[in-house]
Amino acid sequence: MNDRTNDSNRSGGVDRRTFLKRAGAAGAGAVIGRHLSAPDLAAAQDATFKPDPAAKRGGTLRYGVHTAPVHFDVHQSGTVANIGAQAPMYDLLIRRDPRDGQTIIPDLAQRWEIAPDGRKYTFHLRRGVKFHDGADFTAEDVKATYEKLVNPPKGVVSPRTPLFSAVSDIVVLDPHKIEFRLKEARPKAFMLGSFASGWNIIVRKKTLDEHQGNLRQVMNYPGTGPFRHVSRKDKEVWIMERNPNYWNKGLPYVDKLEVYHMPPFSPELGSSLLTGKLDYGRLLDPVSWRKAKETPGMTAADFNQSVVQFVCMNNKKPPLGDVRVRRAMHLALDRHALVDVVKDVAPMLIGGFVYPFHEMSTPQTELISKRLGYQKDMKPAVQEAKKLMAEAGHAGGIKNLTFLVRDAATFKLWAVAIQAMLKETLNIETNLKTVQISQWFEDAAAGNFDLGISAIVSSIMDPSDYFTAWYGKDGPQNYSNWTNPGFHDLARQIERELDDNRRKTMVRQAEDILEKDPPILPISYEKINDAWHNKVRGQNPSTHFGIYDTERWDNAWLAS
Amino acid sequence: MRKYLLRRALFGLSTLLGVSLIVFVVLRILPGDPLVAMFGIEGFAKLAPADRAHIMEDLGLSDPLPVQYVRWMRDIASGSLGRSFFRGDKVSELILHRGPISAEIGLLSVLISWLIGLPIGILSAFRPNGLPDNVARTLSVLFLAIPGFWLGMLIVLAALFWFNYKAPLIVVQLWQDPWTNLQLVIGPALVLGLGQGAYIARMSRSCLLEVIHEDYVRTARAKGLKEALVVMRHALPNALLPVVTLSGILMGFVLGGSVAVEQAFGVPGLGRSLVVAVIERDTIVVQNLVLLYSVIFVFVNVAVDLSYALLDPRIRYQ
Repeated sequence: MNDRTNDSNRSGGVDRRTFLKRAGAAGAGAVIGRHLSAPDLAAAQDATFKPDPAAKRGGTLRYGVHTAPVHFDVHQSGTVANIGAQAPMYDLLIRRDPRDGQTIIPDLAQRWEIAPDGRKYTFHLRRGVKFHDGADFTAEDVKATYEKLVNPPKGVVSPRTPLFSAVSDIVVLDPHKIEFRLKEARPKAFMLGSFASGWNIIVRKKTLDEHQGNLRQVMNYPGTGPFRHVSRKDKEVWIMERNPNYWNKGLPYVDKLEVYHMPPFSPELGSSLLTGKLDYGRLLDPVSWRKAKETPGMTAADFNQSVVQFVCMNNKKPPLGDVRVRRAMHLALDRHALVDVVKDVAPMLIGGFVYPFHEMSTPQTELISKRLGYQKDMKPAVQEAKKLMAEAGHAGGIKNLTFLVRDAATFKLWAVAIQAMLKETLNIETNLKTVQISQWFEDAAAGNFDLGISAIVSSIMDPSDYFTAWYGKDGPQNYSNWTNPGFHDLARQIERELDDNRRKTMVRQAEDILEKDPPILPISYEKINDAWHNKVRGQNPSTHFGIYDTERWDNAWLAS
Repeated sequence: MRKYLLRRALFGLSTLLGVSLIVFVVLRILPGDPLVAMFGIEGFAKLAPADRAHIMEDLGLSDPLPVQYVRWMRDIASGSLGRSFFRGDKVSELILHRGPISAEIGLLSVLISWLIGLPIGILSAFRPNGLPDNVARTLSVLFLAIPGFWLGMLIVLAALFWFNYKAPLIVVQLWQDPWTNLQLVIGPALVLGLGQGAYIARMSRSCLLEVIHEDYVRTARAKGLKEALVVMRHALPNALLPVVTLSGILMGFVLGGSVAVEQAFGVPGLGRSLVVAVIERDTIVVQNLVLLYSVIFVFVNVAVDLSYALLDPRIRYQ
């Protein structure tokens, strides 16, 4: 079956913006359920992912994704190493539809309501759901899970805590009804996106109590998901079997799921897929991906990921505190060349300060055709950059900037290219200092750099998440130590604005501020390359946003 | 002999103690934070200083260095070798699971190096400067110069593009499925064996060239012995001593080389575990594996010394 046939059960022909609207709409269905007529409520309930009667059952799906997890606590993780291997054993409160990767649909919560003032989210939980150890799933489990996420105990790290910073109380109304009360309202898309985040798997209260919330060294803790643990060989494979008591009857389709741990973008992963040792590969290197695309009997797809590749500029070190110098450097980067430099190492997409594929950002076509610094023709941008450098008193250039480079193929290639671009256009001389990933973050946090190249990831695609983390005053990932009071005020308003249209306008205003006073030099946004043998059906990530929210495999089946 | 063994054992122990101290100190001096591997970029960035301190304490990394060292020695004495920082897996289990694969690669590579190196060395020595000798010498220089991991990658790519073949993905032990196991180990063993074979060929050629001009070889020929018998019975045993010594030294190269070659082939052996542990900064795993490699190296060298007596009856240990 080809790609098109695979898509047969999708809401075909829907573009990403429509999907995004649906994301709000499906949640809002129930949302609004309380205040609207019964059919709307029913529609929201029906949005639960249903088994496809045409799908075949049985077989073993061999999936290659990322290296092995370093620990086992999904809530504390920030890498797909955990999500890729463990997510199929768990469920969420609500989830992204696996068919489009965007629409928010019911999961363990059968329906939900949002108070008109946006300060209460009430979830109605499914009855009869059992954990893999046979225990009943109740609202207490949801409360325990979210208490851990919102107020992590000592020694437990929850990178998703900021998503729920507005949550003041989590109240169990009955064993199958739970309410999240907010100190102040947040945009629906933001809150529902946070609840649907793939990281927020529901774990038993008993499990959390027994381990004081810290599951880093607990390999097999019970979930309610479509697959359950069988065995694991560290850094090799995690084997799971179909959960026969899964609440969503008829799912999953495959009897066994084998998750092989392989370095992302590695020839090892690519060759394993191409030789048929794997049925499905994620995070393929571009060369293997292209080969898979050309291979009869295989399908390849690429999709957007929530990672920005950037150069940070230490604002505490002159002359990088000067907005004119930063803007000049921003304009001097030939982003088309930079994407081309790494085309055989990792797939990339040009973008600015907001995810270029997000409906609130300036569309990428407009960015590339009209905006200085993103166009193919670099002349006007370089002219402007030189003018700014002259105004800042650096017409002759700048010498001896320490350029901190993370030891990874893409960053090393880019660092050399950026070094040359800055030298040729603005006579800025940099000294490359290549370090291991952990050292990069230590140096970056200590401010031991002038320029630094790395990548950062956000939990969700909504700008409010990363406006705080990446660009916020004292934001945890604001490595440039950048501040701009106008932007920070606007970001706070965006965080609280409930009207989507007004919010979009404000995000565009924020983009303008960031363009004029760049906190970072955005290089590009990561794309993900997947490929699979055509016997794998029901799974096509082409329209997915990121890899963190849709790792479940309950929708995949094998044709032979 | 007993005295000699005791003395070597003491030397070996002091060497291992030195190695353990060096690897322990170096791993703690090196910059970098294991918490980046643990929480990922996003999680690490959002760690509060108090959380960081608490977790470092949990991992035992806040204790004074002497305390950490003694704890490690205690773990070694108990046989558990400690647990991986992050997942809590026992290092001893990792070694038991993956060690046999690396051991097979090591032994097979030595066997291959002898099977290739010795015949070539003999052929070159007995037909010096002829076409076979020149070809053999050129090839041996080539294999000395080519890095093992690069050759490994070429073999992996050739197998992929010409035969659509890829070795098994997970550890399969020899006693579970010999054929699948052979597919796992043969590639790295061949690459490492070719590199070592080049050394063996050159060394055996030069040693044999020296030996075949000795009087006793001339006498053997004068007696009318067949050339094969002259080589196998008289020349080779006397030329083997330096070759055996070289093999012992090369074992160190095999251990070191296997790290890169296992990585190139994607073979889940100990070498690959070491690479991953270094990347993750899983100190406990790194220090135990480095120490294990040192133990093997010391042991092989003692075994090489002992084998001298077998090859040359004039050598006696006192």
